[in-house]
This record gives sequence, C-alpha cells and structure tokens, in this order.
Amino acid sequence: MKKITFTLNGESRTVAVAPHEVLLDVLRDKLGVKSPKVGCERGDCGACTILLDGKPVRSCLILAVEVEGQEITTLEGVGRDGPTPLQESFIRHNAFQCGFCAPGIVLAATALLEKNPKPTAHEVQEAISGNLCRCTGYEAIIESAVEAGRQGTARARKPAARKSANR
Amino acid sequence: MPATVQTRDPRWVGQGIPRVDAEDKVRGRAQYVDDLLVPNGWHGHVVRAPVPHGLLRGLTPDPAFDWSRVVVVTAKDIPGPNCIVSHDRSMPVIASDEFLYAGEPVALIAAPTLRLAREAAEHLRIDFEERPAILTLHEVADQFKHNDPALVKLCGQTIRKGDAEAALARAHKVVEAEYTAGHQEQLYIEPQGLVAEPTGDGGVFIYGSMQCPYFIVHELCEALALPPEKIRVKQAAVGGAFGGKEEFPTWLAGYVALLALKAKRPVKIVYDRHQDILYTTKRHPVWSRYRTGLNRDGTIAAIAVDFLLDGGAYLTLSDVVMYRGILHAAMGYRCDHVFVNGLVARTNTVPSGAFRGFGAPQAIWGLESHVDAMAAAAGMTPHEFRLKNCLVQGDTTPTGQVLKWSVGSPAVLEKSLERCRFDEQWKKCSRGKPGAKSWYGIGVSFFAHGAAFTGDGEARIKARAAMDLDWLAPGRPGGIVRVSSTEMGQGALTVLSQLAADGLGLDLSRVSCPFPDTALVPNSGPTVASRTTMVVGSCVYGAAGKLKKALEQFAGKPIASGKEFDEIASAYLNKHGRLRVEHLFVLPPGTQWDQKTFRGDSYPGYSWGCNVAEVEVDPRTLGIRVKKITAFYDIGKVVNPVLAKGQIEGGLVQALGYSVMEKIGIDRKGRFDASRMQTYIIPTMQDIPEMDLDFVEFPFDHAPPGAKGVGELPMDGLAPAIANAIEAATGLRMRDLPITPEKLYEHSQKNLGR
Ligand code: FES
Ligand code: FES
Repeated sequence: MKKITFTLNGESRTVAVAPHEVLLDVLRDKLGVKSPKVGCERGDCGACTILLDGKPVRSCLILAVEVEGQEITTLEGVGRDGPTPLQESFIRHNAFQCGFCAPGIVLAATALLEKNPKPTAHEVQEAISGNLCRCTGYEAIIESAVEAGRQGTARARKPAARKSANR
Repeated sequence: MPATVQTRDPRWVGQGIPRVDAEDKVRGRAQYVDDLLVPNGWHGHVVRAPVPHGLLRGLTPDPAFDWSRVVVVTAKDIPGPNCIVSHDRSMPVIASDEFLYAGEPVALIAAPTLRLAREAAEHLRIDFEERPAILTLHEVADQFKHNDPALVKLCGQTIRKGDAEAALARAHKVVEAEYTAGHQEQLYIEPQGLVAEPTGDGGVFIYGSMQCPYFIVHELCEALALPPEKIRVKQAAVGGAFGGKEEFPTWLAGYVALLALKAKRPVKIVYDRHQDILYTTKRHPVWSRYRTGLNRDGTIAAIAVDFLLDGGAYLTLSDVVMYRGILHAAMGYRCDHVFVNGLVARTNTVPSGAFRGFGAPQAIWGLESHVDAMAAAAGMTPHEFRLKNCLVQGDTTPTGQVLKWSVGSPAVLEKSLERCRFDEQWKKCSRGKPGAKSWYGIGVSFFAHGAAFTGDGEARIKARAAMDLDWLAPGRPGGIVRVSSTEMGQGALTVLSQLAADGLGLDLSRVSCPFPDTALVPNSGPTVASRTTMVVGSCVYGAAGKLKKALEQFAGKPIASGKEFDEIASAYLNKHGRLRVEHLFVLPPGTQWDQKTFRGDSYPGYSWGCNVAEVEVDPRTLGIRVKKITAFYDIGKVVNPVLAKGQIEGGLVQALGYSVMEKIGIDRKGRFDASRMQTYIIPTMQDIPEMDLDFVEFPFDHAPPGAKGVGELPMDGLAPAIANAIEAATGLRMRDLPITPEKLYEHSQKNLGR
C-alpha cells in the first residue's frame, strides 16, 4: 500500500492504494465517487472517462499510483449547483437515454468545448467517438455539443443560473 | 428539473418534454446496481461447464483450499424443483447431471471478495464426460434441409392461408432464395447485475438491472420453494437492456438468491464485459427460405416460407420469438396463398433470447430482401412493386386478420419515397459499373410491427395499471403511477407521467412515477413487445381518469384547476388515506385468435415503417458506407416526439450494426468468438449516417390516447434496405448478415467464376 495525494473535484484527497489498483476502482470503491461507470475495464467503451489535468482519460486504464499530485475531475465536480449549459443542452436534445454513458460523454464533450469552443459536428464526432453509446444513435449527442458551442462555451464548466421549475 | 418545457398547454401528450430522470442522469447521480452500497454484502461467482455438452459426474473440492471462507451452492442446494419456469421447465438453474452449453452454471460461489470467490472456483474440479455437440445455425439448417432426424426441434408452428403449394405450381414465375443472419449481442453499456438479500421472513429481496420484475418472481418461486409474495423484486436504474435484460436476469436472480439464502447475507453479482458477452442471451440466428409465386400482372400469387431459428440449448422464450417471426415473415403484402413453417432448433450454445424486435427483424430481413427479388422478376422497380402490393386498410393479413383501423400503409411508403426522391435516385444507381470511383445505391424496405402481445395475449395476462392518490411530499398530494414497467432508457417514466397527467387533467408536477417494486405495484406485464406506451400507458391514462372521477364524486363538483385538486385531494387523504384505482387493458371488440392454428387477429394493432438507405461502396476495397437513411413511421399518436425520435435513432443505429458491422460466431470449443468490445464492434459516433426521420399519425383508437409501439420498429427494416441498396450499388445480392467487405469480395469472386 502506498499513500497518494491528488486533487479530486477541487479538494485534496489522500488515499492508500496498492500498486496494481486501477484509478476507476479507487474512485468508486475507496472514495465513493460513482459517476465514472464500469463498462468494460479495458479502455474500449469510455464509460469510465474522467478529466485528468483537464484531459479526458479512461480511468480503467490508469493505475491509481500514477495520479499523485494531479487534478482529477469527475461529473460530481461539474456544475455543482445545477446543470452546466452543456448538460442543459444534453437534456434538451435527449442526448442520453439509459444514461450510463452520459458521465463519460459529458466530460469528454466538456473537455472538447474548453479546447475548441465552437466545434463542428465533424469535430465532435472525431473527439468523442471513443465513447460508446448503445441507446441514442449519437445524433442527439452531436447536436447537443454543437449547440452548446454555438451558444457560448466559455461557461461550459460553470454552473448555469438555476431556473425555476415550471412543471 | 430545468425549465425546458416548451409550452404551458395543459395537455402533456404530444409534447417533447425532456425525460423526467434527465437531471439525475446527466449529472451522474442516477444509481445503477453497481453504484449501490450493499452493507455486509458478499460477491458471487459462477462456476461454468468447460465444454458445450457433457455429463456431469461430480464436483471435487481441492482439500488444500480453505472452504470455510466461502459458500458454495450446487444443484443439490436448490430447495424446490431445479428449473426456471419459463415457457417450459427444461432449463435448470444450475446443471445437475448434464449440461448443454459451454458456460452453463455447474456451481455458485460467494465470498467476501470477488477475488476470493474466483480463486475458490479454480479449486473446484469439474468431473465430466464430454458428449457430441451441435454448434452452429449452418449445421441445423443443413439438418433441416436434408430432413435429418438428428435435428432437435425445440418447437414449431405453421401459418396457413389458402393453398400455397398449389398456387406456386400455377404461378407465372417462381422466385426462390435463402437468407441468413447470425447472433447479435445487445451490448447495453451497463453489464448485467443483481443483488439478493435474505429478508427476515425467510424470503428474499432482489434488486438491480432488469426489464421485468414479475418474471423474476414467477420464474423462480418454484426453484426457491417460496410463495410469490416472499420474493420481492425492485428495479434500480437500468443502463440499457434492449431485451437482453428481459429473461436473463431471472437466471442471475437465481444465482444471487440461492447464494444469499445459503450465505445468510446479501450477495451481489455484476458481470464483467467478458462474462456478459460470453454467458448471456443474444438475438437468435436465423435461416429462412422463401419460395414465392408471381402472377403475370405483378401481383403475388403465393408466399411459402421456412423460418428456422437457432434457439441455443434450452427453449426459454424462443417459441414466442419464433411466433413473432412467422407472423412477420409474410406480412405487409396482399397474397391469398401463404404458408409459413416456423421452427426453433437446438444447438449447444447459450440459449438465444430477447433482443429488440424479437424475431421480427430476422423475418423482415428475409422478406424485404426477397421483395426486391420478386420486383426484379416481375420486371418492376422495388418501389413500384411495393406500392402495388402493399397491404392497405381493409386488406387481409396472412392469419386472416382484416386491417380495420390505424393502418399507416401506404402512407409511410409513399412519404418516404417522395422525401428521398427514390425514383430519381434509383436511376443513378451504379450497379457495379466498371471504372467508377465509387458505387452508389439506394434501397427500400417496408414493414409492419405487431404492437403488444400476440393474439389474445394481452387479455390473458390481464395487464393492469394502478394510480395511487397519495402524498408526494408532506402537504403535496398527487397521483403516483404504479406499474411494473421499467425505465431502461426508453423513456417509460416520462411517457407514463405524461399520460397520467393528462388522465388527471393536471400539471406534470402533481404526478410521480417511481421505479417498480413488486411489493407496491400490480403486474402490468413485462416491459417488452413495444407494449409499454400503448398498453400500459393506456391503462395508466384510464386509471388516472378514474382517479379524477372518484375525487370529483367525493367533492361533489368537477375539478377545474390544480389548486382545486390540491384542496380536494388533501381533504380526501386526510379523511380516508391513500386511494388506489386500477385499470385493465381491454382488447378491441370482436378480437378473435386461435393459438393452435394461428388464425385470426394476431395483434391488436400494427405500427408501420418504411426505411430508405443510401450507400456508397468503394469498388477497390468494397468498403461499405451507409450515407443516409430516410424513414417514416406510423406509431399511432406520438406521446413524446423527442423521445420517440430518440428511440428511432438509437434503434436504427443498432440495426446499422446488425446490417454491416456486428459479428459474433461460435468457435470450435462452442464459445462465442468475441468477448470484448474490441472484438465485438458496434457503431461509434463516426459510423452514423445522416438520418431524415418523420412520423405519420394513425392513432389506435382502442387504447386511448392512441399510441402504438415504437421501441422495436426501428430495428426491423434497415438491414434489408441496406442489402437492397448494396445490390443497386454493386450488382451483388447479399443474403447473409452482417454484410462485410470480405463477404462482398467472396461473393464477387463467385460471380466472376460463373
Ligand atoms: S470501463 Fe474504461 S473504457 Fe470501458
Ligand atoms: S444512453 Fe444508454 S448507453 Fe448512452
């Protein structure tokens, strides 16, 4: 066991891990962070995507000991006070159905919009095609990301002002 | 909920409101089974048969291993009869003396950690005597073609209308061909997973990822020797299902329940992807043979079909998959002489099971490919032939059902052809023209999908929904939808909430639709067969209307506003407590069905669809690119157009995978030859075509407000539309799915050789 310290969603965390332990398992089982999902454990599906120093990576392919000193963002740390504009765009377009792929795809799209604030449909397809979704047929995901870009993406990670529910 | 509702119109049906579970899901807060904390829970692991067929001589535990740390369950520990009560009682929960497929459970192990459970499994020796095995569809199709008595028939059924053989003999032209398709894996992104906990009263509580909570109760109560009320089943958030979580979770529930009861503590099994692909059900492989006769005027004289499904090792629900298959195998066209011969054959592979479409895509794959062959033989274009022969209102189906209402044909066909300018595009097809840089082709398919259960099934299961008048929160009365339908991504919670709100005439905020828990909900049937919106939804709508009437009677006046409802409902709840009303689904008057002869009204209504695919094939690599899909659907009244479109898009992309990408065979050891997402390839974001989709509404008046099924329809017709387009592009007729460049190449070489 080795103690490692890293930043998780803005807070410093220290946790003891074995050398073979995978980051995904440490997040889910030791730190109770459940939004990264286990879909394949082999880097094929993207359900476990997190942001490592702002870049989307597959947490099932990373050993926990590797993230010492780094900054990790999961969906728990995005839009804490309400959905971000990107997430709202996902909701409007029905860009997820079962929702199992959503945490990974939202993070991958968030990272894309920070790098490329107004992506074209083609750029979205290239950037996120490693994330599998079996429910939506992807069309709505692409539309959501493109539209969020068109509406101004600098705020992609900042929470939206909370609108009151009207239903 | 975010404020994305488009209008304040009190009618919710017809509005594309966002899903009610949207915010939880998009913020990563939805709880899937593997996200739930299971205090004191152990992990279960399944010990599996190593070869596809064998006699089980015994299990020998390694004396060097410390067995006190784990709990082992074998067939001997099953309190009741060792069977899962599906459509027969042939499949054991755990194999006892014979096993019929590689991977069939022979023992179960639970331990404090998964690692220990797996380690224990390695110390359990399986003693067996290997027996001969039949592994593939091609073997059973050969047996069938040669009348080989070795063929093990799990079930059979025919449909007869007129005299097909005589009509074939008289026909001006006869067109014959065979069509095949392999397994397809559902590949929901959330793997299968369930937890079982012993309850204080000797029963068991099972929760997790599933489509049909009551299946688990009814299919396991014999084996567990428990009365149904002692098996409580509750759904967690489900990460996709597509039929894959219809009957399979019962098997898994058997494993966790037996382990939990013996270990006297909660036990969880969540499959990893490898196990999930290797040991769960898939779409039935199909072999079909069409022999059709044409009249001189281009009408259809006769359709004779042999329809063979590979059922895998046990029957499970394959009979009904085959029924749906044969009911769609000659559907959609006017013809007086039809014979369909359906059967399910055994192979020593994992039992095949439910997958979106449930036999219909396999049937329509053959039929709609063959319709192009008939059109060519009749000297007509594929679209002229379809327009001339398609069933319309007043026509009779192969089972003798007169299409009296809600017939979206020929509307879907005409509209699709017009939207994509089929006639113009058809003339541009390359047909394998030498020297071209790229080959272009366009193809069409047209189909109906029987909505809800076959025949009088809906009446027999007495599906019902309940609405509870109860407190949604302290001081906030409302209607709670109580049904056994599950939300697996398709949007059931949202659509049922919309229907409940309209039934009550109230705002959506006064309605709630929680996940089903068999302790709380009546049996509204399984979440299958595209029946949820149409059948269960209509029951919810009816129950909500009754609830409103009951309250109005209580108040002695009509309820005109939400405020009035709050007052009256609060008064009722304070005086009498919770109020439950139920509503039963009733088949249209005059429905007649003979389950023996398969004559009569095979479905209460049909959804209709038309797909046009445009493809490009690279003449050098034979790489296939599906460029565009144009499609119209009649799903009756569209309750939520945004969610319905999502169902169609998602289903079409699964169908795209079935058509040209998704390939899984059986290796020599009798196992699936792909077991990871890297080897079983599904469409990614870069593979999708442009999609131009639309609806025409022909409401189904016998189930207000008139919805028909949508979930399965998009899976039905794309494969033949693509195969038809590929023929128009290359001149090659492909009759085996998936259509890959390798198969195109092989086929082109054969053609050259002739
Ligand atoms: S779980 Fe990490 S990529 Fe699939
Ligand atoms: S929404 Fe189900 S996998 Fe994407």
